Amino acid sequence: MAAFLKVLFRNLLEGPSTDPFPLAPTKMEPERLRGRVVVDEKLCMGCGICSHYCVAGAINIQHTDDGHTITIWHNACCRCAACRQYCPVGAISLIKDWHSAHEEADKYKVVEQKAIAYEPCSVCGKKIRPVPTQILKKLYVNNTDIDLEHVQHLCPACRQLEDARRSAGLPAAAEKAAVEQTTDANA
Amino acid sequence: MDFDKLLKKNSVRSPWLFRINAGSCNGCDVELATTALIPRYDVERLGCRYCGSPRHADIVLITGPLTARIHDQVLRVWNEIPEPKVTVAVGICPISGGVFREGYSITGPLDKYIPVDVNVPGCPPRPQAILEAVALGLKIWKQKLGLEA
Repeated sequence: MAAFLKVLFRNLLEGPSTDPFPLAPTKMEPERLRGRVVVDEKLCMGCGICSHYCVAGAINIQHTDDGHTITIWHNACCRCAACRQYCPVGAISLIKDWHSAHEEADKYKVVEQKAIAYEPCSVCGKKIRPVPTQILKKLYVNNTDIDLEHVQHLCPACRQLEDARRSAGLPAAAEKAAVEQTTDANA
Repeated sequence: MDFDKLLKKNSVRSPWLFRINAGSCNGCDVELATTALIPRYDVERLGCRYCGSPRHADIVLITGPLTARIHDQVLRVWNEIPEPKVTVAVGICPISGGVFREGYSITGPLDKYIPVDVNVPGCPPRPQAILEAVALGLKIWKQKLGLEA
């Protein structure tokens, strides 16, 4: 009898255990729920490792000379988060939005699509994807003397040349003009 | 009000659900059972209940990628459900083929053979998402009956 009263009072205090959805907003959203996939266009480098690892083939990356477009079709995504796991720059995340029901007319509209535009290299003018600052910070963590702002806007070939100049003790392309000016003044 | 309209108006208060497993891995079927059978997600609040015969069904929930082996049986059972019916594709498998897409044993996606009304992607979808899909299906069913614009 006492046990029953305990249950009765608990139920009176806490209310029904039924989740009020769809009549009211849900009360149950786990902390690490894997919902819809989102891409951070500030970070995505278009390397394609996500589409390589995507078991359902939901990710498509189209490259052009001016940029790349990453498209994730939610109707093929199985939310395994392999893309998030293997993305080297952490551009992919799974947000908690689980509202996935939609009508048939919207079948091909439920996509996550981000277009990333390329910028010209500051030395040779070739169109490149500028390396995001937080990735540069990771790459050059032991080379604090390198100007990240300058390196960011260099294409890989120009960056290689720059690096070769630096290891040979020659001034970098950007500093070259300034150094020449000072040597002229000294002379 | 004529009898037909009265019948329609009362019938939408209790859409009966029917499950078709088109070669599913059972993940979505477990979620479908969850939505109905455990008090936490209680689909019966919407007046729904699962029925054993396709002839009693109003909303049909199809799971699985429509394998070559089950293809004919799924179409036969689906054709036995009386019109107007609402077809809900549950999980990514019937919608796009999911992880089995373009596999040799898959004849899907489902909408190549059956007019699907509602899609609810996920692997499996959350029980709440399935409830949302049933609620959406209910709306479409009312439209099909001519009760709502």
